[in-house]
Amino acid sequence: MTGLRTDAGVAGAVAARSGGERPSPGAAPDAPPVPRRRRRSPTDVLIAIWGVLGLLFLFFPVLVIIVYSFNTGRQLRSWDGFGFSSYENALGNPTIVATIQVSILAAAGSAVVSTILGSLAGVALARRPSARWVGWLTLLLGLIMVTPEIVNAVSLLPWFVDLSNTWHLSIFAIGQVRLIVAHSLFSCAVVTFIVRARMAGVDESLEEAAADLGAPPVRRFLDITFPLMRPAVISGALLSFTLSLDNTVLSSFVSVAGSTPWPVYVFASLRSTLRPEIAAVSTLMLGLTLVALALVGLVLRRAQKTTGDSGGGLAATLVG
Amino acid sequence: MPESSDVRLLLPASMTARVSRRLFLGGLLGAGATAALAACSTGSGSGSGGSGGLNIYTWGEYDDPDVLSAFTKEVGPKITIDSYGSNQEMIAKLVAAAGTSGYDICLPTHQYIPQMAASDLLEELDLDKIPNFENVDPAYIDQSFDPGNRYSVPKAWGSTGYAYDTTAVGRELTSWADFWDVAQNEASGSLSLLEDPGEIAYAYFFANGIDPLTTDEGHLEEYRAFITEKIAPHVQTFESYPGASITNNARVLAQAFNGDARAGILENEDPSRWRYVTPSEGGNLWQDNWAIVKGAPNPDAAHDFINYVLDPEVSLAELLYIGYNTGLKGIEEAAVAAGAELPELIFFTPEQTAKLVFAELNDAEQAYVDIYDELTAAAGQ
Amino acid sequence: MAADPVAAPAVRQSRRRLRWSVGMLALPIGAWLIFFFIVPFGLILWYSFGEKPSLYVTHSNDVLSLDRYLEAVSPAFLQTFGRTLEISVVGTVLCLLIAFPMAYWMATKLSPSRQGLVLALVLIPYWTNFLVRTIGWQITLSPEGFLSEGLQALGLRDGPLEVLYTMPAVQLGVVYNYLPLMILPLYVALERMDHRLLEASRDLGANAVESFRRVTLPLALPGIAAGMLLVFVPLMGDYITPSVLGGAQGGMVGQMVAGQFNRAQNWALGSAMAVILMLAILAVVVLFVLVARLFGFVVRRVQHVDLTAVLPAQGAAR
Repeated sequence: MTGLRTDAGVAGAVAARSGGERPSPGAAPDAPPVPRRRRRSPTDVLIAIWGVLGLLFLFFPVLVIIVYSFNTGRQLRSWDGFGFSSYENALGNPTIVATIQVSILAAAGSAVVSTILGSLAGVALARRPSARWVGWLTLLLGLIMVTPEIVNAVSLLPWFVDLSNTWHLSIFAIGQVRLIVAHSLFSCAVVTFIVRARMAGVDESLEEAAADLGAPPVRRFLDITFPLMRPAVISGALLSFTLSLDNTVLSSFVSVAGSTPWPVYVFASLRSTLRPEIAAVSTLMLGLTLVALALVGLVLRRAQKTTGDSGGGLAATLVG
Repeated sequence: MPESSDVRLLLPASMTARVSRRLFLGGLLGAGATAALAACSTGSGSGSGGSGGLNIYTWGEYDDPDVLSAFTKEVGPKITIDSYGSNQEMIAKLVAAAGTSGYDICLPTHQYIPQMAASDLLEELDLDKIPNFENVDPAYIDQSFDPGNRYSVPKAWGSTGYAYDTTAVGRELTSWADFWDVAQNEASGSLSLLEDPGEIAYAYFFANGIDPLTTDEGHLEEYRAFITEKIAPHVQTFESYPGASITNNARVLAQAFNGDARAGILENEDPSRWRYVTPSEGGNLWQDNWAIVKGAPNPDAAHDFINYVLDPEVSLAELLYIGYNTGLKGIEEAAVAAGAELPELIFFTPEQTAKLVFAELNDAEQAYVDIYDELTAAAGQ
Repeated sequence: MAADPVAAPAVRQSRRRLRWSVGMLALPIGAWLIFFFIVPFGLILWYSFGEKPSLYVTHSNDVLSLDRYLEAVSPAFLQTFGRTLEISVVGTVLCLLIAFPMAYWMATKLSPSRQGLVLALVLIPYWTNFLVRTIGWQITLSPEGFLSEGLQALGLRDGPLEVLYTMPAVQLGVVYNYLPLMILPLYVALERMDHRLLEASRDLGANAVESFRRVTLPLALPGIAAGMLLVFVPLMGDYITPSVLGGAQGGMVGQMVAGQFNRAQNWALGSAMAVILMLAILAVVVLFVLVARLFGFVVRRVQHVDLTAVLPAQGAAR
């Protein structure tokens, strides 16, 4: 009778052996739930209540904003009556519409840049975990993730100004370019880690086989590597897009007049007057994000069904 | 995925892409097309360059939106507005951007114009392109801070005072001394100060009979000690636009510009609940001016806009919206005729005007900023 | 998977090319990050050794010194810094305490399909703009708002709600904003946990609390560590939450740094403050890692069961 080893290492070994997924792979289809759910202990009920309360807590301000988006008053904070006037005003206000366009464009651009850079790096890190430069790159990526945005912001603005004035690279005086570059920094680190986590679990032998069969690197990448990492790339792109839409501090420092993104506009209104239009636009954008999420979720679920990921697949890829 | 291969590969089932490449690429194309469409409409309108737009960097709520849309309809350029809360913020942004800010027009307060011009932040105006300049009351042009109006044209002038909630403060207040007294008592924890370092300093100097233009170290030290030790614990927030807070009754006492306070009071459910005070010791007389930023992408549009707002009717509309004296000839009569509410908050009596002091930028400015930083840090205790 | 020892030279060549080409993939991101992240940071590091020569000139490096760092650790700055540290540490701990039961519930008590749904529900508020969510709290906590009126109507409060523009408001705001970042890693770690270990623990006689302490908790530790890191770091530099909810009394370091660039035009001092902020974050993280390692080391020593002593006949039971 072996003694119980509570050493976490053993648990890790067990988990690793089963690939970090739920036990009983292959063989039998999902067995009915284990008897542990037979009796609902008081702790179970309490935990469930806590969970639901937590969800309500998370949704609370979002609901407040959605409700107040129907405020017909002049100020967001003081409720005046129910109506759709704020939506009309928001969509009819050229400044607001322009900022939304700027935001979406910057998000798309930054998502493209981060996804490309991050996917390539993720593959490299997953395939060459023991190369010399891996330590440095991981340190660099980690450094980005531990740098507060304000430090990033105050350093990027002088640099952009230097680039456009002293080095005469006038492309960096274009607002949209600045936004895309600034947003891509944190995102590409995130995408790298997501893709690396995904690729680390995948064999290199398929690529080696393709190489043996004479496929050039590009063909190898397109036919073998890319399909394998597609779910991670999609989640990475989505995450970059969302992070960029949300980015406020960095944008407010580096943005150029005429290319003001939406969060910067809200931040500036915060200092003078907040209008219900802001809540209206936020509600609309939330709706759009949900639609995009649903689409991606659909895509990912199809990929999940074929690769057999558990329900934690999406979260696991997100957190790495 | 081999397209035309005769070789059958043994691949695990998972390799068979459920989402076909075509679908995926199609999705990417769709996203790209949307982005391109967005870019098209952005590019033609509020583009970052001189593509028919106009970018104004100004104070918040400082222009009638109807005036702005009328300008776009009649003259053409679409306007984007970014706002700031203090001159320091505006200047810091322009200095940091070093000509790449993309702004065409900014609104400096008068005392900063000489320094801004000297630091190469402003373009010289071509007054030939602003024929409506002759509508401006001669009392406000050709001032000491900008002889010949080479860099600026008056937009509005006003003063700084404070507003208080009469239901929370029982007595009648008339002076800056009253202000500082109530700040430490009835309004403790419900006080807001302007984000302008100089304005707070002036409020102290006036209350204590010191010339606000002083650069004496002793005076500055007194001010520093007073504000960081006596007042800091009572401040609730620093805001440049307390009008919204006045409307919501979110404060008891707020240092405010006259027009902003007026707007806030008028929007309040019960306007008589609030009183604006033009303090008896005097106050800061400030004049905001239109100026063109160095490196402006759309200088012609900028000149057109300045000319547009100096038209008497447009100027009246602006005055009624922002609540400040726009300085055109005969504007006071026009405003009264148009039925402006609370005109005493827009137009000052000769006695009040006599005590207003035209602010100047002097060596004390750095001290004001440093003391303000200390104040904001100390306010957290 | 092992390399074929008799592979033809052509195959070895193509494999070497494979390795080389894969390594090159990391080059673009390295160059990008160095050019747009390391170099600018080096720039402000350089500025931090300079000074502010006059009113409208932002910085000058004619005279190099560490004076700006001395200025940056002035009592005023240190006080704000202390407040920021307090808010961050308390915020991280609160997030952990609130998130752990939620993650546990999600990972162990729900069916897989429900898990996906609840996970999406956790993430949806996160997809709302950070600033707008915080404004939602500003509306809620305002003295004239519905919560204040409601509490007064119910008799739970005498006067208007006075939470807004105080430190507790900022504390609430940060806990709310960073909660999903704590839930996610915890959920992943707990979800990966093999429930058979818990069963084994029960079979061997441990009660619920002991099983939790000796099985669940150690397995969740990587998730806890990741979550705390993900929350603490951005929290220290948070600029938005104190701006919206803090007023004069809830100021944090991020605002001080921003103020030096946005208002005071003192880039040298602002850079020094930014560098100090980064060093402080790194120091706390390193400290935390060291303490965690030490703790883990001690725990493992205490709980280690040496099976060689128990089963000498069978040798090491690994």
